[in-house]
Amino acid sequence: MAGPLLSSTEKIFILHGVQNDYRSDGRSNIDYRPMELETDVVSHASGSARLRLANTDILVGVKTEIDVPKPDNPGKGKIEFFVDCSANATPEFEGRGGEQLANSISNMMQRAYHTSQAFNLKQLCIFEGKQCWKLYVDILILECGGNLCDAVSLAVKAALFNTRLPFVKAALMDGGNVDLQLSDDPYDSKQLDIGCAPLLVTLCKIGDKCVVDPSAEEESCSVISLVVGVTGNPKFYCTEDTTNILNVECKCSTIGMNGPGSVAPKTLKDAINQGIIAAKCLDEALGKALLRERQETIVMKKHSYGFLK
Amino acid sequence: MPGPDLLSSQGLRLDGRRPNELRRIRCKLGVFTQPDGSAYLEQGNTKVLAAVYGPHQASKSKTSTDGVVVNCQYSMATFSTGERKNRPRGDRKSQEMSLHLRQSLTAAIKTELYPRSQIDVYVEVLQADGGAYCASVNAATLALVDAGIPLKAYACACTASIAWRGSEPEPLVDVGHVEEAAGGVCLTVSSLPSTRSVALLELSHKLHMDYFDVVLSRAMQGCRDIEVILDRAVREHLAEGWTKQDVVTI
Amino acid sequence: MPLDFRRFNGPEDSVSYTRFTQDFLKSYDELHNELINKSNLRKDGRALDEARSMFARTDMISQAKGSAYVELKKTKVVCSVFDPREIPHQNEFSQLGQIFCEVKFAPFSCSRQRRPAAPDAEDKSLSVALRQALEPAVCRHLFPNYQIDVFVYIIEHDGACLAAAINAAGLALADAAVPMYDIITASSIAIIGDKMFVDPTEEEEHVAMISPDSENVNHGIITMSMLSELKQVSDFIQIGSMDTDCVIKAMDILEKECAKLIPNIQQVLVMNVVQNIEQQKKLEEEAKEREAALNAKLEEWKTLLNAG
Repeated sequence: MAGPLLSSTEKIFILHGVQNDYRSDGRSNIDYRPMELETDVVSHASGSARLRLANTDILVGVKTEIDVPKPDNPGKGKIEFFVDCSANATPEFEGRGGEQLANSISNMMQRAYHTSQAFNLKQLCIFEGKQCWKLYVDILILECGGNLCDAVSLAVKAALFNTRLPFVKAALMDGGNVDLQLSDDPYDSKQLDIGCAPLLVTLCKIGDKCVVDPSAEEESCSVISLVVGVTGNPKFYCTEDTTNILNVECKCSTIGMNGPGSVAPKTLKDAINQGIIAAKCLDEALGKALLRERQETIVMKKHSYGFLK
Repeated sequence: MPGPDLLSSQGLRLDGRRPNELRRIRCKLGVFTQPDGSAYLEQGNTKVLAAVYGPHQASKSKTSTDGVVVNCQYSMATFSTGERKNRPRGDRKSQEMSLHLRQSLTAAIKTELYPRSQIDVYVEVLQADGGAYCASVNAATLALVDAGIPLKAYACACTASIAWRGSEPEPLVDVGHVEEAAGGVCLTVSSLPSTRSVALLELSHKLHMDYFDVVLSRAMQGCRDIEVILDRAVREHLAEGWTKQDVVTI
Repeated sequence: MPLDFRRFNGPEDSVSYTRFTQDFLKSYDELHNELINKSNLRKDGRALDEARSMFARTDMISQAKGSAYVELKKTKVVCSVFDPREIPHQNEFSQLGQIFCEVKFAPFSCSRQRRPAAPDAEDKSLSVALRQALEPAVCRHLFPNYQIDVFVYIIEHDGACLAAAINAAGLALADAAVPMYDIITASSIAIIGDKMFVDPTEEEEHVAMISPDSENVNHGIITMSMLSELKQVSDFIQIGSMDTDCVIKAMDILEKECAKLIPNIQQVLVMNVVQNIEQQKKLEEEAKEREAALNAKLEEWKTLLNAG
């Protein structure tokens, strides 16, 4: 994707700013831009979230279907990520133009969610070897303002937090086939355990330093960025007493590199450590925001804004 | 004519509306900063985003010396419908919708002002609950206004159907998904209400010629009602003065 | 996804018969314990930190500009590189040359399933990873608006296929005389619990990708490619779940493993050059011989003509 047009002097200005830890929008190298997050915005989906990170706008809908589990994993459900780059973001995405970007993001997400320490697929099992839930996580990119990976992972985690699976009321065995009866009551449903779900942090190498949350302008100044997927901490996502919940340490669930450049091993190590620290802060902030919103929904105080605000 | 039972004995429709009542329309101009114009429109549970880029130089294959080329793309989010869609665009229905959208918008835009140029209109349906095409046209009109592209008139679209109260025909305006799925007639009209002209007309299922006029006039009335709502939204938006885009450009 | 019409694919819900064999039904612990025997050696007799010996040679495919074949015991990879050509379907001029990579598995390459003929998600992600690894190594400014095609065909997959593909592609690019900054080498490591398997086999990779039931055990695979002389990491891919210390420890091991491969690759490249020179010499000699024979014939005719 071609970024915004920048002259070489503008690039040097951004580079010097990063070197002095004072970026062009006033942030330091480890600060994120302000975000807006709203869950439950699409009524046709089981769970949804919309995240706006400055200019970047992501809408995620989670749809659930009943499927047959894979023969080599009979006790596990399935999760699939699909990214659609809407042409609303840039005319380049018209037709199949955004496919390459979409594939790379969905690949990254699929890899980050691969391990059961990040997302336990066993909770999607209905009937071992016969029936399971399949989650379709559909990610719609409405506007690109830099740092897509982080925004997508945050929105996906929020949407999964918002997802409700209906309870199975009864199951009839008819020969080899299972006939399920699901609860119709929307409140009679279970939530997913997504405390450990990973967040992706992009570290963009500009000059000799790495910055988090690059804007589109900053992205066009850098030749290499590192994406670190870090598992979350369930402690941040539950309202009850947190003492009896194991304090899980953050772990890397995926690491990848993007862009035509290369990095020195030392920089790579520093960047991974920086990414883990950033992910911890993000995870805590996301947990707080989601719990607050859930509380507001329970006491019927929540205003639904959607795109009208 | 024994049609499906779309009206209750009190004369109310399945979702509780009166026959001549539109669903609630809420809209906002200038939702995004990157496109030249953008709009969001909600018609009941149908939610649509539209973005406009241009006018800019037309790509070689599309150039026309007569006027501007309107390039439309209609896509539906995979989670927009009850059943998950596999592809957001590129299927036959979306391509047809793109063509229809182009027809309606070309009728509204003063195309002769920009020869050899192109305007891109991208519509994204976030949630479809009947009348997605109408909502798309209405949202695209707002986005065109937001982009400052000269229009002859507002392009508004509305659907209408017919139900039976006893043996009397009763036309219904702004058909919802349930009524559409029940298998009734659905007449889609896209028009420029202030010039009293029709840009696109599409009818699904058969309708007796005798009743065509009533249904059409009900749909046209719907278009006029929508025009009033759109006009008010545009005026409110302009009265606000400062949009996000202005702030960014300054 | 385009359907494969050329062959009969069998019913969609068919499963491999191996599912019903004894080996398949083994639990995670059994699989895990099998990997290492009592004397701390792996199934194929290697120590944990011992890589498989690499066999490599260039000039495999005569039609390609450059090609290479890399074998790590049972992992077998062929790579071919073609002449730069103008980037197809592009309107804008690109200042830097591009590298187009395609990784393909042979249908019979994997022991667990038959690979579909059409490229699936794994093929595509490997292609992306390969391009990412090669881009920093190639002097792309020397062929603006041109693209080099790199095709990798995995004949047999027994673990570490991305690393093998990167090594093969580096060799093939050198064979095709594409200017490069440094020799590119790659290596991979599988982590299961506290053990690190350097250059894993397919079986070890499979176990490393399964998450154990016991919480918080490190597991996963890391592949890293390096430009050793420049001390630069050109690609780093980690999947699984592991803490930072583990990643950093693995990185140090991989750095050494990548460096170990260099003499091997240098040797192959030097051999390639020597062979080429020898071949050229031989050709020149043959040409000389032919010329001498021709001259002799001419003299003969001349004498005949003069006599006639």
